[in-house]
Amino acid sequence: MINATKDRIIKNILASRGRLPHFKTPVNKCDEEGGCGVTGFMANIPIAGKHIYEPSVQMHNRGNGKGGGIAAVGLSASDLGVPQDVLEDHYLLQVAYLDEGAVGNVESTNINPCFDIYKSEKISTIDDYTSIGLEVKPPDVWRYFVRVKPSVLKKFIQNNNFYDMDQRKAEDEFVFQNSTRLNQTYYASLGDKQAFVLSHARNVMILKVVGYAEQATEYYCLNDFKAHGWIAHQRYPTRGRLWHPGGAHPFSGMHEALVHNGDFANYHAVSEYLNQYNIYPQFLTDTETAVLLLDLYNRVFEYPMEYIIEALAPTTEYDFDCLPPEKQQVYKYIQSQHMTGSPDGPWFFIIARNDPYKDLIQLIGITDTAMLRPQVFALQEREDVQIGLVCSEKQAIDATLQSIAKEDKRFCPIADKYWNARGGSSTDGGSFTFTIKDSGKEDGSKKLITENKFGEIIQTPVGQIHFDIQTDLSNSSESKKHTDQIVKLFKAKDLSQLKEYCLAQFAILDFEDIKDVCNTIESIAKSDSEKAMAIDLLTHLNDRIFPTGNKKRSSVLQIIRGSLTEIFKSSPKIKDKKNSQYSYIDFATRGDLRAPLDNEEILVVNAKEFESEGQDCDSRMINKAYRLGWNHYICYGYKGQRFTGCGFGSDSDKVRFDVYDSSGDYMASGIDGMEIHVHGNAQDQLGQIMKRGKFVVHGDVGQTFMYGAKGGDVYILGNAAGRPLINATGRPRVIINGTCLDYLAESFMAGDPLNGGGFVIVNGIEFNDNGNKVDLDMAYPGSNLFSLASGGAIYLRDPECKVVDEHLNGGVFAQLSDADWELILPYLEENEKLFGISIEDDLLTINGKKLAFDKVYRKVMPIQARALGLGSSKKVDTST
Amino acid sequence: MSKTKEKYQLPEIKETPSRFRNTIGKYTIKRNSKCISCGKCVELCPFGVHIMPENHASPFRPIEHKCIGFDCKKTDHYCIEQCPEDALTLKDNALLDTMGDYRWTSEMLLGHFAMAETGKAPHVNLEYNLGNSGGGFDKMRFVEPNLSLAIEISDEDIDTSIELNKTGDERSRKTISIPCYGGGMSYGSTALSVIVGRARAAKRLNSLTCTGEGGYPPQFLPYKEHVITQVATGLFGVREETIQHCPIIEFKYAQGAKPGLGGHLMGEKVTESVAKMRETVVGSSLFSPFPFHSVYSIEDHKKHVDWMKEINHNVLCSIKVSTPTDVDMVAIGVYFAGAHIIHIDGSYGGTGAAPDIAKKNIAMPIEYAIPKVHNFLVDEGVRDKITLIASGGIRNGLDVAKAIALGADGCVIGTADLVAVECVRCGNCESGRGCARGIASTDPELGQMVEEEYVEQRLVNMYMAWRKQWCDILRTYGLKSIKDLRGRSDLLVHLDYLDEEEQKKYQPAPSYKVVL
Repeated sequence: MINATKDRIIKNILASRGRLPHFKTPVNKCDEEGGCGVTGFMANIPIAGKHIYEPSVQMHNRGNGKGGGIAAVGLSASDLGVPQDVLEDHYLLQVAYLDEGAVGNVESTNINPCFDIYKSEKISTIDDYTSIGLEVKPPDVWRYFVRVKPSVLKKFIQNNNFYDMDQRKAEDEFVFQNSTRLNQTYYASLGDKQAFVLSHARNVMILKVVGYAEQATEYYCLNDFKAHGWIAHQRYPTRGRLWHPGGAHPFSGMHEALVHNGDFANYHAVSEYLNQYNIYPQFLTDTETAVLLLDLYNRVFEYPMEYIIEALAPTTEYDFDCLPPEKQQVYKYIQSQHMTGSPDGPWFFIIARNDPYKDLIQLIGITDTAMLRPQVFALQEREDVQIGLVCSEKQAIDATLQSIAKEDKRFCPIADKYWNARGGSSTDGGSFTFTIKDSGKEDGSKKLITENKFGEIIQTPVGQIHFDIQTDLSNSSESKKHTDQIVKLFKAKDLSQLKEYCLAQFAILDFEDIKDVCNTIESIAKSDSEKAMAIDLLTHLNDRIFPTGNKKRSSVLQIIRGSLTEIFKSSPKIKDKKNSQYSYIDFATRGDLRAPLDNEEILVVNAKEFESEGQDCDSRMINKAYRLGWNHYICYGYKGQRFTGCGFGSDSDKVRFDVYDSSGDYMASGIDGMEIHVHGNAQDQLGQIMKRGKFVVHGDVGQTFMYGAKGGDVYILGNAAGRPLINATGRPRVIINGTCLDYLAESFMAGDPLNGGGFVIVNGIEFNDNGNKVDLDMAYPGSNLFSLASGGAIYLRDPECKVVDEHLNGGVFAQLSDADWELILPYLEENEKLFGISIEDDLLTINGKKLAFDKVYRKVMPIQARALGLGSSKKVDTST
Repeated sequence: MSKTKEKYQLPEIKETPSRFRNTIGKYTIKRNSKCISCGKCVELCPFGVHIMPENHASPFRPIEHKCIGFDCKKTDHYCIEQCPEDALTLKDNALLDTMGDYRWTSEMLLGHFAMAETGKAPHVNLEYNLGNSGGGFDKMRFVEPNLSLAIEISDEDIDTSIELNKTGDERSRKTISIPCYGGGMSYGSTALSVIVGRARAAKRLNSLTCTGEGGYPPQFLPYKEHVITQVATGLFGVREETIQHCPIIEFKYAQGAKPGLGGHLMGEKVTESVAKMRETVVGSSLFSPFPFHSVYSIEDHKKHVDWMKEINHNVLCSIKVSTPTDVDMVAIGVYFAGAHIIHIDGSYGGTGAAPDIAKKNIAMPIEYAIPKVHNFLVDEGVRDKITLIASGGIRNGLDVAKAIALGADGCVIGTADLVAVECVRCGNCESGRGCARGIASTDPELGQMVEEEYVEQRLVNMYMAWRKQWCDILRTYGLKSIKDLRGRSDLLVHLDYLDEEEQKKYQPAPSYKVVL
């Protein structure tokens, strides 16, 4: 009869909430807001608040400085000045006072009568809010460590018939309802708001300001405050004048903080759905409704997290068919019960939560089924420290790691693993959770566990170690042997031998030896020709995914990229004329830009300090350089700067870019003739309206890749995220060696590939932990492949025919002809040259057996749908 | 703010008659066989309805559209009665019953034909300022003027220009000489000669036209300073150089006539040349997606605007949105994302190509949206930092003036341009090979029915006629610049909100039955 009890508890909770004061939720939100930028990380050791600073600053252009907030979970008791057991047992009630005079009232109505207060204090702040650029004074925040008075709790349980409930959970509910009352009295019901509850969880704290997120950490003096997990949010409310941060994220239900990137199309419907459960939003933003939904499912219905995610982001279409029958059964019930409350429209949530009943804390990222917001997850694991990260942009992840690594050398500035979630999918469920719990070593230490929605563990290769950057160089006889060899090969100018040698040796050498080798390469790279060789060699080592033995690839990359950066930096400054073909420019020296002289050819741009867009962005300066006659650019030090390669106009055939580090959105958009090589992962909206040229990415690309492209030869080593090549026309010719999340080449209109049109080759391979190429389970797991396309073709490497008609929507499978193979072969050959993916040994060899091309590749062609083609002149007419 | 008056060199008006043999008139006037070619009617008619050139034995067939009809009775030149042989008959033209609709009445169509022909207000008694819709602009009137405020000032001295970049940023402060520019019509939806003719007119008027979403035909290049490149959700034909050519780019997020739907070009209109321009497949219908796939939120939008600004370092950005109930919030968001122009497109616009289901499930009427956005921008303190452009059912010069008085800086005109080149609004733009009048067609044969010079001059004529109307209104209220009319909703009344006595002071809403 557990169910009957549970039912009764649910009914009693909902009935009890029905007695709370409320008003009817208005149809519209208080502010329209857009997507925003979100970032978060969770580590097994406490991390200082300042490390949320860099990623937040770098996502300024995702907010507008009119709302920023941060949350921390798994706090440091000593930083808060309370014993650990108080931190864990007490509610950390934080009230923001917009009207300083309201403190007395609030305390006398909603705090003193009901709580035993262990400690109360006004959170310290810096003296002058304007000194950190804030325009609106943030609210005074009072922090109370409280427990509900036993007599009050007893009465609460009596009045609401909560006898069946766990007493601690009843106490949670009291705190929740008390905050609701407080908010109603001092916030929601007032025109001039006086106070509201920021957070009331155990071991979670939220702060927000009218400003940027990092200003909250600065203003409230949290730079050195330590916590296991941090999340931050840059808000973009469209209204111009805001004087308090009530609508800023994060929002809290009970024991969590949630930030949100996106915008619900069905805000009103979700509110009405909540109303049915006697829940009435008070802050009137869709983020608040999101957290209320989460709290309803979590605390009232007590769903496991998997079911909560399913209720928010339902599994649909072909993915639903792929679920095991038992799951289908459960999900069907969840969907039929909760579909109306499921947020519609673009959204991506990051949730930091404490589960005091299971003694764990978690960081969760969930994307909507349609994956309309960008999201990247990353993980770094070593024996003593582990960290999981989730952000809107990959550059923010890199910024976080760089910031932490600068202070704590145990961290590597590059993550071991980066990936995207596939929303509402049967493969990962569109959600990943980083959980911190006791390591079991009985020394109080914690460990981090990463799981997808279904509880499947995600981990980095086992048995590999990171490089401890502080160790001295080995200068061993072993390393001397290698450095001598390198010097010799350099003298012989034998680049291919150099590459081969290093690739082979780096697999087995120690970090120290690799560092020696790289240092040697750095020191050799003096003359132009040696420098060119060194850059070529190190770039090759950076690009190729090779076995790294017992070493973490991220650490190997750290060494290689460090050396590349040193070599770039050592180029003659733009002001000096040094008879070199390289010339170095950065933000400080951008005013010295001039036309290339003598044999100068390559402009080395250190993009680090440049703005992301606008008059002071590197893209603008590079445009100027192009008009002055520069054609070849090496750009490094990127931290998400946008629009690389944009603005050159037509016939830029002479131009070549080599791009290193965390490049930004919109790269290669609109290029017409130039060549761009990205030496690493790339971000969102790349290659839009691209017309012509060559675009090579030695990694993954993000959302809406090549939207509306007209052409170009494009080679992607890894995956493309959601919606690549939508509405592409003309003759784009693209190889994606990994896969795509969904909607590949929707409305593709690229003519007849055999007659000058375009195509996409999807190879469906990945690199395993040993750096070897392996086939993906499925070359294209998403749905809506090539849907509503009228031209072009997809060449899918799918020897076992795992992709089926249900993946398509308006396309048909066809047999590959000799003409098709003749068409794509040169592209595969170039692909082999660029990425080392062999046609014979990798692509055409399946399970150790070499097959004919038409047994490996399948072609997806458009069908001439009647509704789309000729003979469709009838108007859609509903009038009679 | 500086109020330097710009002396505007008015483009020359040239009489540009219909390209069809029979121009539609309000009246039919017939000459029967009793005519003895005495020439009396030729002598009488001051409007040139009757013409008998020298060496001709008999008069030409009456030029019916110039006839003022039964109003002539009161004059001393009423040919019907003075014809010695009773050879002339006058009737209402029954064709008018079959033309137009409640918003674009047949008289309004004829009025535009006349303005485009002569560059002046029609001399025939046509109601070309008001439609028969029973609401909106048709129920709005300019308030009874206080005559003591009226000023005497020549048309040339009145400033009808508007500024398109008020942000104060480093980009050029583009000014156009009339408070209107042309809405997007794509190569594909509309004949090349028509869209190029519009560009030529834009150059002469010192205004702008817009490519629509169908690529940038090279024929635009001589007029590129006056051509807006539209960047819409299908991104058809959009390339870096098309963005670099233009002074302004227009992001089309939505169209008021079909919010929630992207552009849609039927397979039949995707001819070889259209497919080539858009780099697509001949005969395949072309859908633009309903959203920008790269823009699902405001910060994506900002990034999108920034992108355009990096491609062309001097380009201005106009953002075209439809008018949902929260259009004011959208507008402020657009402003903060760095746009120069917010272009709100109300529900009445569009040609015939939108599916009926879309035409009938539409956005907020533009006359509601304009003050909503205007007032919100004022409250937020940014009204003078952004240009507000309204479109979607702005049919004539008076509508433009009303929209400005409601709070817009200016208007975008689409349909009226087509009517000026003799579109009869049959609404079959998308069927078969396209328009029977050769306007909304890319058919190589049909497209030759229209010549660029004709389009150019007809449009210049129409806008010059409108300009005269604006000057009249401004003089009446003592204003010297159209900028001073902006937001003067105190100068408007709505008939439905006046008591009966007051109502009588104003011209009643026209009311006649339309055969639909």
